[in-house]
Amino acid sequence: MVIPVLAFVGLIFIPIGLACIVSSNKVVEVVYRYDTKCVPGNMLHNKVAYIQNASIDKTCTRTLKIPRDMKRPIYIYYQLDKFYQNHRRYSTSRSDAQLREPKAAGDVAEFCKPEAFAANGRPIVPCGLIAWSLFNDTYSFARRNRLPRDGDHGPPPLTVSKRGISWPSERGHLFGKNVFPRNFQNGSLVGGGQLDPRKPLSEQEDLMVWMRTAALPRFRKLYGRMEADLVAGELITVTVRNSYNSYSYAGGEKAVVLSTAGWLGGRNGFLGRAYVVVGMACFLLALLLTLLCLVFPMKEEHLLLR
Amino acid sequence: MSSERPLLDATATTPPTPAAASRLPPSQPEPPVRADHLGFSVEVPDPFRRSRRDNRDQPPDLSASRRELQEGGDCESRAVVVGEPSAEFSGNAIRTAKYSALTFLPRNLFEQFRRLSYVYFLAITVLNQLPQVAVFGRGASVLPLAFVLFVTAVKDAYEDFRRHRSDRRENNRLAAVLAPQTASEFPPKKWKHIRVGDVVRVVSSETLPADMVLLATSDSTGVAHVQTVNLDGETNLKTRYAKQETQLRFSHNGGVGGILHCERPNRNIYGFQAYLEIDGKRVSLGPSNIVLRGCELKNTSWAIGVVVYAGKETKVMLNNSGPPSKRSRLETQLNRETVILSIMLIGMCTTASVLAGIWLLNHRGELEFTQFFREKDYTTGKNYNYYGVGMQIFITFLMAVIVYQVIIPISLYISMEMVRLGQAYFMGADKDLYDKSSRSKFQCRALNINEDLGQIKYVFSDKTGTLTENKMEFQCASIHGVDYSSGKDTRGYSVVVDDLLWTPKVAVRTDPQLFKLLRNGGTNVEGKLVLDFFLALAVCNTIVPLVVDTRDPRQKLIDYQGESPDEQALAYAAASYGIVLVERTSGYVVIDVLGDRQRFDILGLHEFDSDRKRMSVIVGCPDSTVKLYAKGADSSMFGITNKELDSVRATEAHLHKYSSLGLRTLVVGMRELSQPEYEEWQSAYENASTAVLGRGNLLRSVAVNIECNIHILGATGIEDKLQDGVPEAIESLRQAGMKVWILTGDKQETAISIGYSCKLLTNDMTQIVINNNSKESCKKSLEEAIATIKELRVTSTLDTLNPVLSSESAGVVLALIVDGNSLVYILETELQEELFKVATECSVVLCCRVAPLQKAGIVALIKNRTDDMTLAIGDGANDVSMIQMADVGIGISGQEGGQAVMASDFSMGQFRFLVPLLLVHGHWNYQRMGYMILYNFYKNATFVLVLFWYVLYTAFTLTTAISEWSSLLYTVLYTSLPTIVVGILDKDLSKSTLLAYPKLYGSGQRNEKYNLNLFVLNMVEALWQSLVVIYIPYFAYRQSTIDMSSLGDLWALASVIVVNMQLAMDIIRWNWIIHAFVWGTIAATAICLFVIDSIWFLPGYGAIYHLMGTGLFWLLLLIIVAAAMVPHFVIKAFTEHFRPSDIQIAREMEKFEALNQVNRSEIPMRTLS
Repeated sequence: MVIPVLAFVGLIFIPIGLACIVSSNKVVEVVYRYDTKCVPGNMLHNKVAYIQNASIDKTCTRTLKIPRDMKRPIYIYYQLDKFYQNHRRYSTSRSDAQLREPKAAGDVAEFCKPEAFAANGRPIVPCGLIAWSLFNDTYSFARRNRLPRDGDHGPPPLTVSKRGISWPSERGHLFGKNVFPRNFQNGSLVGGGQLDPRKPLSEQEDLMVWMRTAALPRFRKLYGRMEADLVAGELITVTVRNSYNSYSYAGGEKAVVLSTAGWLGGRNGFLGRAYVVVGMACFLLALLLTLLCLVFPMKEEHLLLR
Repeated sequence: MSSERPLLDATATTPPTPAAASRLPPSQPEPPVRADHLGFSVEVPDPFRRSRRDNRDQPPDLSASRRELQEGGDCESRAVVVGEPSAEFSGNAIRTAKYSALTFLPRNLFEQFRRLSYVYFLAITVLNQLPQVAVFGRGASVLPLAFVLFVTAVKDAYEDFRRHRSDRRENNRLAAVLAPQTASEFPPKKWKHIRVGDVVRVVSSETLPADMVLLATSDSTGVAHVQTVNLDGETNLKTRYAKQETQLRFSHNGGVGGILHCERPNRNIYGFQAYLEIDGKRVSLGPSNIVLRGCELKNTSWAIGVVVYAGKETKVMLNNSGPPSKRSRLETQLNRETVILSIMLIGMCTTASVLAGIWLLNHRGELEFTQFFREKDYTTGKNYNYYGVGMQIFITFLMAVIVYQVIIPISLYISMEMVRLGQAYFMGADKDLYDKSSRSKFQCRALNINEDLGQIKYVFSDKTGTLTENKMEFQCASIHGVDYSSGKDTRGYSVVVDDLLWTPKVAVRTDPQLFKLLRNGGTNVEGKLVLDFFLALAVCNTIVPLVVDTRDPRQKLIDYQGESPDEQALAYAAASYGIVLVERTSGYVVIDVLGDRQRFDILGLHEFDSDRKRMSVIVGCPDSTVKLYAKGADSSMFGITNKELDSVRATEAHLHKYSSLGLRTLVVGMRELSQPEYEEWQSAYENASTAVLGRGNLLRSVAVNIECNIHILGATGIEDKLQDGVPEAIESLRQAGMKVWILTGDKQETAISIGYSCKLLTNDMTQIVINNNSKESCKKSLEEAIATIKELRVTSTLDTLNPVLSSESAGVVLALIVDGNSLVYILETELQEELFKVATECSVVLCCRVAPLQKAGIVALIKNRTDDMTLAIGDGANDVSMIQMADVGIGISGQEGGQAVMASDFSMGQFRFLVPLLLVHGHWNYQRMGYMILYNFYKNATFVLVLFWYVLYTAFTLTTAISEWSSLLYTVLYTSLPTIVVGILDKDLSKSTLLAYPKLYGSGQRNEKYNLNLFVLNMVEALWQSLVVIYIPYFAYRQSTIDMSSLGDLWALASVIVVNMQLAMDIIRWNWIIHAFVWGTIAATAICLFVIDSIWFLPGYGAIYHLMGTGLFWLLLLIIVAAAMVPHFVIKAFTEHFRPSDIQIAREMEKFEALNQVNRSEIPMRTLS
């Protein structure tokens, strides 16, 4: 009974694993880490001072080579490392009531501290450390080697759509249509991005994505989507406005990621390999048990009660 | 004495004293120590150690029970003014309930928090209320503890409510109490208002409200009969006396008075000592003058007594200390694992907090500008919620305790209680445990030791009423060397008295030949001997015939009442042959001899004692001869016979035959006394019975002098019928590896004969008998016994080449027979150790003549020295102490009263039910409970480890990805119900297999289902599974957009599925309920996750909807379950194939048989078609 089950599991798992590996390999991913590359050489020894200095222009343009054909849609992510969105001080520092209802603006509770009230004593909307630390680097893309020629419109420019990057449940229910940012980011320490006070929270999708706290300290968050196909060998320029302070904590890497999506999401060969390994292990165990049963058949005295 | 019916025991009855009514009933010859006290006192009293103060206080003839006074220390007596209620002593209201409406909450909480685990959970709940360490929301954190407390409190409240109700019923019963200042008015008064000093009138069949000294009864000689069923379980009537002084006084003027001095309340129900000062005289009072609360007055139209002990000071209440709360073996062992888990918990908390400290130290300089930390609050300029690294470590530690608390499963205690409840239901519903004849169901009275039934190693059994039916039946007789044992028809014999038909209550099967001989004879020698034989049976006893009305006005029943059921059986036998004992007064008996009523004067009676092992009466016959009739054990009777060799030899042969049939045998003899002999005896007897000191010894020597040269009339065989299936049951129990000990109040010979008839003793056993009267001789015989055992061991090991084989397999089976008198010197002394050594070497132990507390002492002997589980089974009040002492106490709810049942943990109708109870239900309960506890440890450890691994990725700040509600519901809802259902319903083997192979019981005795190895294995599995659950998604979601709530949902669901799959793999007998709960729980978990993720103010709003839309989620779930289960699956398969346990082998056999049956049923079908 045991041996067939193990063999059966092996039989099922190995194909699944192979399918996963194939699927993952189809996904094309371009990762460009820029946290040090976008800091001028003379500031490398003091990146915090660089990022905190508002007078320096932090735009940074780089060229990326596309390794394989990428079919639309191409997802653009930003990736942070060693940023503990799951830190206990941080992950609870929000007020869902305030995000949803304008009336609950004062409901900053104890969770939001120390970003609950502005210097004037008014409640901050949205309050709490999560909103305060909103990621605010921006990216723009352009094709490098295929400039538009005369009379030829050429391929469409690489526009990044930032609509629909949040979950419908967040847009529809969690972030209120009548809630507008108030007193936001005007304390003595600026944690991150600003919010357009004229736009209701239900339209601030970057905030929604940021506030859906990541599970692990190295995480990606969806930045936008490009409705364009890229071909292998194509060069594109990425213009990064590097303004988010990831330098004040150790290991604060930043990267921009372009990726297509497979049916299992991004490129990750682990799952496929895991399936294959488990499947193989089951096969081996089945084999081992069969051998053991053949070599040591159940003896008569086993059938006698002690 | 004890409620065991000794063969010939007349010691407890005092014969109605002729003429001299004012004389004290002769004091009872007593063993040197009241064994009843053995449990508490090891002091062997020295008869000369009486203090002077005692002397001054007491009349000398009270020596019999002076020991009790000595034990009472300074022996302050209490003085009771008869007729004057005194508020000085405790009132008669009783209270068994624990709580009142007011005290319920605090006391119940106090009781509950005496469990260490509850204190632990309380501490954690309190800790969570501190804002700095709060992990869960306030409401959420209180919920589990509150739930547990509430359920327990409801249960306790219900139980106490029932106790209150019975208390109230008891306290509000009415009794007729003498109104003060009146002579004969007895208005009703509630029991609770009765006080010491009240004079109470009780009528027939009424229950006595308190312990009273009898003052007067309806009988002119002051006799009252009481039934002590509720007290000691004996159903026969006991005779009690009012003192002639008070009796006369009452019948003359109805007035009472005087001051009664009695000893302080104590729990000895067989001892009482007091004296009454009346008219300037001191009248001494003894145990035969007191009637105790709970007894019923019988066959006495009224009795009047003065209350001396009331309420909680009555002997019955003092003896009713209530069963000590027992804890099951598993629950005790579970503490060890709890300690290990606590160490694990502390380890995890320390690790987490130290790592957190290291992290903080490494990032010390960055904390201010790190977005996710934000050390300072700039509105105040101070640190926000940050107290430095040291303090942070401490706070993290406390928080870790809160987060990881579930590693010690709180729900386990509730689950265990629920499982026991369910198990109890199924035990109660088992038809195999239902006694049709007495209509008694199996009852679980203690709900916390079900699983102990599966681990019993020692069974201590009472004999009378437990192994036997306690119905003595006359079977056969050997008269003058002729065996009459072909009793066939039951012929009722009646006598005509005053135109009324008097019929003995019980008819005995009569031997037609003997019957004919008796009818025709009377003239020839043979007939004369037969007549004498039956006369001896009818006369030589202490039976009181009571005439009871029947529905038919012309017919009456003769009911023979006496303390020895053997005597009753003999008297009924004589009656069936036409020699009917009709009347007994203090001086004579009237016997209807084949229709001719004759009067026999009882001139003297020599009571049974254990030295002589016989009793005799001196009778003045109607033909004016004086005869001595004697009956006794064969050993004692054959020593005093005259030498009529032929018939004696024949009788001996018959006796051997009878006893090999398991009958209780008695030899009956007679001697005709000549006038000088009689006169000599009479003067000696008079002297002896009026002697002040050493009366017992004097009487004994008088008896020994006269009991000689006896002419053996014959022998009787009485059957104390074994209950159905007792030998088979004992055989099963022994095969199951249990040692069966019989503790009986019977004398040695009877005990041994019963031992043979229930197959406990066999002829090939070597018997070691310890029967001594002093400590030195006990020591000697114990040493000899040890030497014998050693010798046997040596020879047996020499005989057999394999020294590993135990003595049993080597053919030397030892049986130990210990006498109660010897136990007096052994128990509670240094000799105990030796007895223990001897007893554990013997496969059978019989203890005879043991007093109730000695029974407990014997149980304690084993219980305190071994880890083995003990079970005591009994039916009478004399078994109560042993039932309470043993790990498991079982009461037989049969003939005798409810005392044993009340004190027991389980009660049932028959001894043989012990086999299905232990072998089937005990086995199941143990297997299931052991598995359930381990499983609960495992599943909570899995979950906690899942939480722990995540902490490594949260900068060690104890964030849980799994939402707090899921964390709390995990133990309460996600995983608890299936284990409860499995704990109640799963059966590892079928009933028939378990009964067919008693050896399977050994699994429980060897702790196979719950031990440290299994615990460690479970923890390793938990470790592996938690790693699988955490790290497969971790690597699959590394560098992805996965958010905390989605990952938490996956982890929660995966953990629940994995632990439920583990359970599902270990379930052996599936049925639809188990299916519903196991799979239903997984579904319920998913539903709960949906509900939690649909509430907007909880984190993770919408997460599960998004998550379940991705294929990755489902693939992850599949591989997690597979990878987590494979090791368990393989280990199981491996052990089942290569190192199977007995249970697994038996299961294979079951499968094989089932397969065979299918095949068998298929073959005929083929031939048909």
